[in-house]
Amino acid sequence: MRLNYPLRVQKGGKMVEENIVCIGCPLGCRTSLRIDHHGDVAKITGYKCKEGRQYVLEEYRNPVRIFTTTVLTEKSSRPLLPVRTNRPILKSRLKEATLTLVRVKVKPPVKVGRVILPNLLNSGVDVVATDDLLE
Amino acid sequence: MKYSDADVAVIGSGPAGMAAAIRAKEEGAEHVLILERQEQLGGLLHQCVHNGFGLFYFGQDLTGPEYGHRFAEKVRDLGIRMLLETMVTRISPDRQITAVNNREGVLCLTPKSIVLAMGCRERSRGQLNVPGTRPAGIFTAGTAQRFVNVEGWIPGKKIVVLGSGDIGMIMARRLTIEGADVKAVVEILPYAGGLTRNEVQCLHDFNIPLLLEHTVTEIHGQQRLEAVTIAKVNKDKKPVNGTEQMIECDTLLLSVGLIPENELSRMAGVALDPLTGGPVVDQWRETNVSGIFAGGNVVHVHDLVDDVSWEAEIAGSSAARFVKKEEMEKEKKILKLGRNIRYVVPQTISAQHDVTLYARVRDMEEHVTLKVGDIVSKSLRVVKPGEMLKIDLSRSQLKQLKDDAAELSIESAKRRQNG
Repeated sequence: MRLNYPLRVQKGGKMVEENIVCIGCPLGCRTSLRIDHHGDVAKITGYKCKEGRQYVLEEYRNPVRIFTTTVLTEKSSRPLLPVRTNRPILKSRLKEATLTLVRVKVKPPVKVGRVILPNLLNSGVDVVATDDLLE
Repeated sequence: MKYSDADVAVIGSGPAGMAAAIRAKEEGAEHVLILERQEQLGGLLHQCVHNGFGLFYFGQDLTGPEYGHRFAEKVRDLGIRMLLETMVTRISPDRQITAVNNREGVLCLTPKSIVLAMGCRERSRGQLNVPGTRPAGIFTAGTAQRFVNVEGWIPGKKIVVLGSGDIGMIMARRLTIEGADVKAVVEILPYAGGLTRNEVQCLHDFNIPLLLEHTVTEIHGQQRLEAVTIAKVNKDKKPVNGTEQMIECDTLLLSVGLIPENELSRMAGVALDPLTGGPVVDQWRETNVSGIFAGGNVVHVHDLVDDVSWEAEIAGSSAARFVKKEEMEKEKKILKLGRNIRYVVPQTISAQHDVTLYARVRDMEEHVTLKVGDIVSKSLRVVKPGEMLKIDLSRSQLKQLKDDAAELSIESAKRRQNG
């Protein structure tokens, strides 16, 4: 099976190679970053523009995502309420975020934008409702 | 005010219908009426709980429900009438609408103009002809999306996704988050069908394998799906003998394309373009039937919701102008499809006003030049069938068009060098 996701490849003991696909444009450049033993970027290859290089650097140093999911409701005709983080969280914490929100239940009425869970995983980011919840 | 004498009747209240209704009202149509079969406005947006909506329209990264909420509030603020849980069953060429609901029974409406905004639906197993048994556990990705995000059911625990359309990739991520094991996304083409953003943030982020140039060749299982056989395909997209492998799974999701929903359009005598699956429209999104306009995914399937709403606004605005009996420039120039262009919308333009063309290519190509007659020549690094091209043409550019037709084409850099 051919895998198309980035793999961390240990090379020569000290240098590590990280593969990141640029999402800046439809080209979807598959770039490679050589990371030295301090964790700094030594070399980037495979990008085709300045913006792409910047995106790849940022994605390596601070990969963040808006996290969206649903939470269970109580006393509502709708079983679920859709929610999101109001700011991006670290990509590496998506799984923990999921496990935290599994335990959350909300009761109507809820207006769109209301904080459902403050300070998710002590990240300073709030989870907010993305829709109204009526009774 | 009765429902029956609306100025503009909009069929559907998704991102297209709401945008069309709002713009029709803003442009001076007094009595705008939305007909919606669900119990609330918003169409498919309710089940699209992920973000990526409105990046261009609002300049903000919204989720589907948030995007819909903004339009729905405006619909209410403007006093646009709506008939919810009301199914339109017929439109006649003289713009009579037959609809039905459980309050009024059968309704007959005679609006002055109509905007078609019914959106699209998914291709299903029946349209794919995958051999094998017919067990439970095979869903279109959008159906699974509704189960998971609205109704609170998980369709299965071990999932294979056939097709790498955007909804398929988004559901691969969504089901992983909800605890299912997504074995693979299987794509017959040599590249992902959906947006690169989704390939990265849905598949790479969650280590979900994307098997390119593969397809499902057999479905196994009696009561419930038990496994699928996948195989590598050759250049003609035919399975290669000896490359088959079996993947154990209880659920197969299909994300293999969307079809504009045009049964009502056909009844109204609206001419359809076989390449888009939607009505043939002019610059004002008017169909061949006078007073019937169309916008959004009912016309052609868009990549981004922002473009759906923008296109529907053109239809809404034109419907209002039609009601006010404003003259719309009807001198028509035809857009012809040249090399590597699958379709273009609108199919005709007036050449008297600025216009934005939406086009899709047949095949992926790198380092190409996009041409519109001899008035546009634009270098592009890559074109892909999954990423729609948007081409803005100004009035002054269009004035240089001499013929009654202009050809859109993609020229490869290689060909230029050789020729």
